[in-house]
Amino acid sequence: MRILLCIFIALNLYAADATLKIQKDVEQRTRIALVDASAIVNNTFFKILLSDFKISGHFLADTTHHIGDVNSDYLLPVLKSKEYVLKFALSQQNGTKLIIRLLRVADNSEVLKKRYAIPTKDKMPFLAHKAVSDINNALNYSDISWINRYVLYSRYTKARHSEILLADYTFHYKKVIIKGGLNLFPKWADKEQKSFYYSAYSGLMPVLYKINIYTGAKQKIATSEGMLVCSDVSDDGSKLLLTMAPQGQADIYQMDVATGSKTRITTFNGIDVSGKYVDDESSIVFVSNRLGYANIFKKSIYSDAVSQVVYHGRNNNAVDTYKDKIVYASRESKNSFGVNRFNLYLTSSTNTDTRPLTTTGTNQFPRFSIDGSVIQFIKHRGRGSSVGYINLQSHQSLLFPLSGRKIQSIDW
Amino acid sequence: MIAKSLLIVSVLLVLNGCSQKAPELNSAKTGKNNVLDATEIAGKTVSIDENTYGHENSHSGQEGLNESKYNSSANGFQSIYFGFGDYSISPSMEKYMTNNANILGNVNGKVKIEGNCDEFGTDEYNYALGLKRAQAVKESLVSQGVPAGKMVIISYGESNPVCSSPTDGCYAQNRRVDLRVAK
Repeated sequence: MRILLCIFIALNLYAADATLKIQKDVEQRTRIALVDASAIVNNTFFKILLSDFKISGHFLADTTHHIGDVNSDYLLPVLKSKEYVLKFALSQQNGTKLIIRLLRVADNSEVLKKRYAIPTKDKMPFLAHKAVSDINNALNYSDISWINRYVLYSRYTKARHSEILLADYTFHYKKVIIKGGLNLFPKWADKEQKSFYYSAYSGLMPVLYKINIYTGAKQKIATSEGMLVCSDVSDDGSKLLLTMAPQGQADIYQMDVATGSKTRITTFNGIDVSGKYVDDESSIVFVSNRLGYANIFKKSIYSDAVSQVVYHGRNNNAVDTYKDKIVYASRESKNSFGVNRFNLYLTSSTNTDTRPLTTTGTNQFPRFSIDGSVIQFIKHRGRGSSVGYINLQSHQSLLFPLSGRKIQSIDW
Repeated sequence: MIAKSLLIVSVLLVLNGCSQKAPELNSAKTGKNNVLDATEIAGKTVSIDENTYGHENSHSGQEGLNESKYNSSANGFQSIYFGFGDYSISPSMEKYMTNNANILGNVNGKVKIEGNCDEFGTDEYNYALGLKRAQAVKESLVSQGVPAGKMVIISYGESNPVCSSPTDGCYAQNRRVDLRVAK
């Protein structure tokens, strides 16, 4: 009977989404409460703060929306069980202003006090992210500055039309950067997120452009018959991995940005796409159908040998890398049409250890954060879609609902 | 000397005290280490409408369906359809390839061969699959005597569906290669 019970419990655990597992001991996370001193309470802002604290993996935030005074050091008795209290006041009367005070409950001392102001209202989510990352830094926790970054994505609007947008990681902020025509595969060109590459399908041949998001200055980088995608950018921005087909055959090329010279890396007479740098940019991981279905392979840039990375799944057609880490999407159901189950897995270019990151739904477009600590992905479940995040260290996960149009590609 | 030192210390203490002053929420002033931290957030980004950039004449993708239930090509060409995940031309499509080769022989200028996919795929792989389909059609036409230089191929991946109903027949119409005279 006990054995049956154990099996039943194990099956139920496995059926749950692995991303929801909280493996980090709750006691290890810092207990924090939030006290809102805003003249006009903004529930969205409060929820964004909670999301930021959660995905950081360092905090256990009280979800009660306490109201109080930002300047007073008085703490309600109910807050005495916390380690820290964040008092904040948000104002959006003229732009967006935020004041925060972080109080240590044990001695009622002020640990951090900051004020932020930006001239617009729409970027309010970024103030929440900035405040939480500053609080995180003030307590000397490992860096979470990735929450301050822009997400860059393209989505279809109608047949042969798309638009490219910027968002914050929660997708509460969204702004169309390029609309009209068919513009695809946006990819950040630099760590500072000042420019990005994208493929424009406005003529007989696709063209790769680089555009500055602040000035609008646009530079033609390359063109190719058939298809042209910037799949990856080297750490210093000097090299690109392109999927292009100058003779009608899609292969992966490395391009030197300064000289414009291109070196063909793969030569398979099938499909080779989605090249991603790995192992200090001496090798690439990519998607190929050389075994008759889409799967993940690895190849040195300087030699011909190709090795298989993944040995399971029916269709593994999306991959991303961070240093030696590899994340990929694997189709685990066999419907030719309709909903298929795609799960994300984490593996490495240096060993065969593999662990699942999701177990339910259709999970696609895996992307590492700039520091490799968090994975972003798109989850389809039922009729809805969400953008998801998995903190690889703390196993915290978050989902934010996406509305409407189909996402074509995403980067952050 | 002592008085001078005390004066300097006093000034430093006053300045230090100023920097510690609690900021006021509605103050217009910008303080060190707080408001300036947010300037990178406030950077104004562009918004570009490429509808004004002079694209080639677009088509809805539906126009061909008015002429024939299963054709989204133009200029008398016939669309070529493919199996799920496949990029080989099936025997049932050969007669249409012969028709397309004949029409190409009478066309002045270039013909655009557009590869398309159904929605079951993501990222770059679907665009490469569409390209393989377009390339298969081009190679078939070359084998029938059409000069390779007369054709240009492009893949639209899953971006150009002619049908959006969740049915197998609809998905099949999207796994296709369209041909049209390049403008």
